Amino acid sequence: MADASTPLLTVRDLTVTFRSGAHVVSAVAGISFDIAEGETLGLVGESGCGKSTTGKALMKIVAPASGTIELNGVDVTRLRGRALRNARTRMQMIFQDPISSLNPRRRVRDIVAEPLDAWKSAKGNERDAIVRKLLNEVGIDPDVYGARYPREFSGGQCQRISIARSLAMRPQLLICDEVVSALDVSVQAQILNLLEELKAEYGLTLLFIAHDLAVVKNVSDRVAVMYLGKICEIGPSEVLYESPAHPYTHFLLGAALEADPDTAVRGDVLQGEPPSPLDPPSGCRFRTRCPYATERCAVEEPPLLEIAPGHRVACHFPLHGS
Amino acid sequence: MSQPLLVVDDLHTTFRTTAGPVAAVGGVSFDLATNETIGIVGESGSGKTVLARTIMGLQPRTNVEVRGSVLLNGHQVVGASERDMRELWATDVSMVFQDPMTSLNPVMRIGRQIDETLRVRLGMDKRAARARAVELLAMVGMPSAEHRYRAYPTQLSGGMRQRVVIATALACSPKLLIADEPTTGLDVTIQAQILNLLDDLKQQLHMSVVLITHDLGVVATRTSRIIVMYAGRIVEMGATRDIFYHHRMPYTRALLESSPKVSNPPHTRLRVIPGRPPNLSTLSAGCAFAPRCESATDRCHRERPTLENAGEPGHVFACWNPVARTSSHEGDLRHG
Repeated sequence: MADASTPLLTVRDLTVTFRSGAHVVSAVAGISFDIAEGETLGLVGESGCGKSTTGKALMKIVAPASGTIELNGVDVTRLRGRALRNARTRMQMIFQDPISSLNPRRRVRDIVAEPLDAWKSAKGNERDAIVRKLLNEVGIDPDVYGARYPREFSGGQCQRISIARSLAMRPQLLICDEVVSALDVSVQAQILNLLEELKAEYGLTLLFIAHDLAVVKNVSDRVAVMYLGKICEIGPSEVLYESPAHPYTHFLLGAALEADPDTAVRGDVLQGEPPSPLDPPSGCRFRTRCPYATERCAVEEPPLLEIAPGHRVACHFPLHGS
Repeated sequence: MSQPLLVVDDLHTTFRTTAGPVAAVGGVSFDLATNETIGIVGESGSGKTVLARTIMGLQPRTNVEVRGSVLLNGHQVVGASERDMRELWATDVSMVFQDPMTSLNPVMRIGRQIDETLRVRLGMDKRAARARAVELLAMVGMPSAEHRYRAYPTQLSGGMRQRVVIATALACSPKLLIADEPTTGLDVTIQAQILNLLDDLKQQLHMSVVLITHDLGVVATRTSRIIVMYAGRIVEMGATRDIFYHHRMPYTRALLESSPKVSNPPHTRLRVIPGRPPNLSTLSAGCAFAPRCESATDRCHRERPTLENAGEPGHVFACWNPVARTSSHEGDLRHG
């Protein structure tokens, strides 16, 4: 492992499968990664690559088929009952659609207090004080807005309320699943800055799942790229963005649109579309779209190997560093 | 200069609601030359989609008031009856919407949705229309077009559906294509494919394109001019490079600075615009951006600025306290 300290989260060979008629789909097909305490790991990939399923599996919203998820050295996949309930307070998740993740019939202050009520961790004045503090921290005035309902708020404000709720139990790990993709650019920047502030204040560790490469780069210390249920490359953000070693990462970055007329009009554009996860290609899963694929790629699945400190890539013919 | 293909003059679209009139488009003027691509950028509620639908003549007749003029290839769209508009749709102007699933009929084979246009508008017979539909599918990059002709929309991916929508829109070789967020919701690699396809088809068919988006990255390299809209009005318009590098309106600057960039180092703090886009039914007499603007003065809250020349040809902005003029890239805040 790259880091000397024990990581906060250690995921090994995680798989998540879904049944689809007679087929079994491996949405997550054996992935391993660590997140160090205080770090932000970005998880990028196109739709259907399994990035959201990974986040949900960590929370045990969907049950992993195999593999281990260790939080503080304890495998949460084996926990049951009270121990699992306690472990869940240390991990929280925020979702893409801020409006549908809030109960429309409850007042904002009660939504934020919900975790406290569920765990009976604070009551009366203490509970109210925590709620006020949380709402203030996310920029919602509790005196003006505390008694209102979610429908009276914009998407950005609902996302702030979701964030306040997720922090109520003082989690260690916050999983953010496309938290800004439904928001306008100006509001998106507000939420990204807010997350960075709260991360410092609460000493949070973040798993930041998103499809937008620029957004991910702006918040992440390290980035993992997923394709069809597997991690194809993981490394420090700047290294990965400046010198991607996996052809898929290279094409993904080439397709990202930079708001600058001086960038090259057309980078290399990846042809075709991702194959169905029902019937993934043999060997390397990217080989059907990869211009460099050879026979070996069809036969032998490339392992995730370290090509530089902390930079690992799953490719028989990486673009550099082999 | 030849006659512009599209001339929009002081266009207003007002919705009558129970809460009073809402000016979704509040006096917009611009023109578009043949084979030119113009980008319209704005956040949700800025009026960009209503503007597009008004140019298409798609606004309902009840509870909507449209004033001003839209001259499309010499035809007046404002006040035109649906019968008149039918003469323009498909042959003069076509539109590609954001969500390809809702713009296709889910229970009709995609091939038939394309040849319907050909048979109704161009009077082609069934066989000729079918052949042309397969040709169009091949033109938009649909693999095994002959076979996919018989597919239903649900059997295709989002990117492929958008290709079908584009094929349908281009069936009668329109002179103007309005693409409203054509790649929002598509994956980045697919987005690049669709934008390149639109570019190629524009050259091939000698079309003009209005590209509407909230994403500055989409318009940065694919347009010759950009219109920035806020609260139903144009707040800045000019050549693409001028908008990115020599913008004068604080809103344009704020929009550019609040977008995360791939070239930023990790943990870059983004400049934010406080607040959120205004409610159109309660606009003040002043500049709509004033409540969120750092350079706003009393005058901005009282009096609405009109579009003024910025110096560069065709570059106009509406602001009483504009961003200082920058002559080189170096002075530009995007490098800060």
